[in-house]
Amino acid sequence: MSFPILSLMIWLPLIGAALMFIPQGSDAASARNARWIALWTSLIVLILAAITLVDFNPGIHGFQFTETAAWIPQFHIAYRLGLDGISLFFVALSALLTPIAILASWRETRRVRDYMAAFLLLETMTIGMFSALDFLMFYIFFEAVLIPMYLIIGVWGGERRIHAAIKFFIFTLAGSLPMLLALVWMWHHAGTTDMITLMHTPIPPHIQDWLFIAFLASFGVKAAVWPLHTWLPDAYGEAPLPGTIMLAAVLSKMGAYGFLRFSLPMLPQASAYFAPLMFALGIMGVIYISFAALAQTDMKRMIAYSSVAHMGLIIVGIFTFTVIGIEGALFQMVSHGLVIAALFLCVGILLARGHSLRLDQLGGLATRMPVFAAFLMFFVMANVGLPGTSGFVGEILVMIGAIQINFWVAFLTGTGMILSVMYMLVMVRRVLFDHARSIANAVMSDLSAKEWLMLAPLAILVLGLGFIPSGLTTAFHTAVTDLVHAHVAAMSPLSHLAMAKP
Amino acid sequence: MMTLMQAAAPLLVLALTVTAMLAALAIRRSFAVTIGIAATGLILATISIPWALAARANPFPSLFNLTPDALGFAGLILLAGLATLILATLYLTRDLPLPREEYPLLLVLATLGAFAMATSAGFITLFLGLETMTIAMIGMIAYPRDRPEAEEAALKYLVLSGMSSAIVLFGIGLAALATGHLTFAPLLAAGPNPIILTALALIGAGAGFKLSVVPFHIWVPDIYAGAPAPSAAYVAVIPKIAVIAVILHLLAMPGSTVSPILASAVGIVAMLSMLVGNLLALMQENLKRVLGYSSIAHLGYLLIALLAAGRIGRAGVIFYIVTYAITVIGAFGVIGVLSRAGSARDADQIDDLRGLFWHRPLLATIMTLILLSLAGIPPAIGFIAKLYIMAAGVSADLRVLTATLVLSSVIGLFYYLRIILVMALKPADRAEAPASVIAIPITGWLTMAGLGALILGFGIAPQSLMTLLHAVFK
Repeated sequence: MSFPILSLMIWLPLIGAALMFIPQGSDAASARNARWIALWTSLIVLILAAITLVDFNPGIHGFQFTETAAWIPQFHIAYRLGLDGISLFFVALSALLTPIAILASWRETRRVRDYMAAFLLLETMTIGMFSALDFLMFYIFFEAVLIPMYLIIGVWGGERRIHAAIKFFIFTLAGSLPMLLALVWMWHHAGTTDMITLMHTPIPPHIQDWLFIAFLASFGVKAAVWPLHTWLPDAYGEAPLPGTIMLAAVLSKMGAYGFLRFSLPMLPQASAYFAPLMFALGIMGVIYISFAALAQTDMKRMIAYSSVAHMGLIIVGIFTFTVIGIEGALFQMVSHGLVIAALFLCVGILLARGHSLRLDQLGGLATRMPVFAAFLMFFVMANVGLPGTSGFVGEILVMIGAIQINFWVAFLTGTGMILSVMYMLVMVRRVLFDHARSIANAVMSDLSAKEWLMLAPLAILVLGLGFIPSGLTTAFHTAVTDLVHAHVAAMSPLSHLAMAKP
Repeated sequence: MMTLMQAAAPLLVLALTVTAMLAALAIRRSFAVTIGIAATGLILATISIPWALAARANPFPSLFNLTPDALGFAGLILLAGLATLILATLYLTRDLPLPREEYPLLLVLATLGAFAMATSAGFITLFLGLETMTIAMIGMIAYPRDRPEAEEAALKYLVLSGMSSAIVLFGIGLAALATGHLTFAPLLAAGPNPIILTALALIGAGAGFKLSVVPFHIWVPDIYAGAPAPSAAYVAVIPKIAVIAVILHLLAMPGSTVSPILASAVGIVAMLSMLVGNLLALMQENLKRVLGYSSIAHLGYLLIALLAAGRIGRAGVIFYIVTYAITVIGAFGVIGVLSRAGSARDADQIDDLRGLFWHRPLLATIMTLILLSLAGIPPAIGFIAKLYIMAAGVSADLRVLTATLVLSSVIGLFYYLRIILVMALKPADRAEAPASVIAIPITGWLTMAGLGALILGFGIAPQSLMTLLHAVFK
């Protein structure tokens, strides 16, 4: 076995979090050390993630950087890790956004040590979840993510934090318990929880339908698919800003990743059977949520709703079962992760200057904070899919995939995207261009060096991916092609016959 | 002689311990000495279990069933007894205006009764063990006798358990009438005639009472809330292990079959226990009552694995009861280390834990682990235990029960999560809040940290516990 780079990436943040709890005299010292430990640990993980990106060989079929160790051999459950083109970028996204979230919370003063430990714990859980190749491990990380996030919302959140935290936890856990049942059934059926084996174990179609519904309950809640999204505005609204960044940019991807990793390859018939439903939910998400976004009076909530609307687009892309549609969805997930994180960072910059986030109290910032305005404008344009930004590539690929399947699906999804231009531009006008309103104690200074440091890399990535999309697509092309081919093979009438007689 | 008594060694050690404690009390009253004898006795009995496991012959085949399975449960009872003894030692401080020496005696006596029950080979030992355990537990519940609620709880338990014992005794009488024997085997061998069925139903009701499943659960919250924390931990855990041991022994006997009627009756009991336990726990403000209702629900989960039978079902029952014992003793332990027998009441209101994360972060972390384990959330051991139950339910195709398990687990989340957030709230301004002023001795920290480490360690590496259980329970 080669160097266990994935294990290192998963457990290093946990070790960092443990280090913070060594007693170090005064509270101030422990807070300062906690900040620096958190930053350095997450930066080392980022470097390791960069190494996996460089080392990753896009030509190889199957998983790379694999690690296996015995865990519960009686039940054929093992510690299995590995990355393929699909999971590679999610791990990288988690590793990139954690240090940014930590930088964004540099000014946090309440219980700093516990706060930083929670973020490192969150990084352990998300990276573990994206690189797990054992269903039980996946499930454990999938649920364990809730614990740090629950505390981040419940302890450091806004006014209605307890309500939001409990709602978030109960929605997501209630969703994932059916998945646990499905997991147990699949383990009973296949005798192992090895995900690669499970992908090649045929499951009778009538059972697949039930399993698909169980997965939908769990991944749908996590990805905030309409109508399972109602926990999201509360959680996004009440979480402290760095928490919102992690929720929107990384945690929401866990659901979409689950569809790609489990529903599609393991339940091909059911996925095809339920595809129209998924299209309907996705389109409903895009259109209904866009209208809901238009009605928001709070900048943070408006961006939160925009995030849900984009998840609808991603769901549509995944269930086209075309290489181009799925690649579009994947591209959109990465791009959305970067863009939404940047937009929430912009919100945080306003908050740090004492601005209200109410849209009727903001205005005229374009002249007072020109650099900030430029960044905000750029990320808003990326969010609505302006050509030249990464948002455009994802959206256009999904649309091409969708139009190959059904004109109306593509048409309605496109309509939703036009709506997204509407509400984002409304927001920009209110925040940047309307005449300046009475802003009581707000500071008007432009971006600080630290804020530059957070926003500039995201802007470069968004622009870079917009101009050179092949950097991303070549990496996951093999994995997506394999996925689609396996799906086509499973759907061919011959395999259907083979499945009929167990 | 040594080899003859090898299998019965733990039982004899325990009986000798009780005698020694009585003798020591007659000579000179000393809390330290009684505690010392009790702890030594329990530890020696536990240590002799592996030796007893290796025995070839059973010296009392007509009274005791000293198979590895029964001894395994007995070992669990001893360890649980030891854990509650440590908690009781911390709890019964000098400021209790009553003699403290009898409490360890009652505890060891109850453990002896539970031991006899778990290893019983016939109805006589079963009933004697049951009564020894119950009567000693009544004393433990009423121990801080100047607390009215403790007295009330003990009286309730006395009346209700007296009634359930009478019912069990009547059932045993009917069984003896129908078969002419007081051992288990003839009862199982006899066909389904009305007298046997009535006898089984009566004995089953008695078991249901001790297992605290719906509809025999009414006593649970009142008695848990009234009893001092270590006694509540004892009552919540040890009788249940003993009853489960007897049930598994009966199920494993040749010729034992579960009739479809019995299975559906147990299924309904399981379903009601899961739903009633979790729904009623939602409305409680008292942590002991929450734990009471939660234990009703947990026994409902356990019945699923019991019904599923088979290898995985059996392993699931054993794993679950171990998990339950560790977690529930831990939960009452948190209340116990924050309370003292001498004070007017235990720190058992949920509000008493307010701000625990601020002034006692380690204890709050342990409590969080305990609550996660009770809710069945990774990485705590309760998750693996729940997985076991689900696996048993799925492999036995118990669909409705498994679905109820999932549904009621979601309900359960509400009250477990609320407690975690209450602990994270800013502490109230009350400086006299008991949770913030009581000094916790080092043994208290060690016990709680040990329980927390078991919950987390077995949750992350369940393999170690599975191997251990597999080695004992073949």
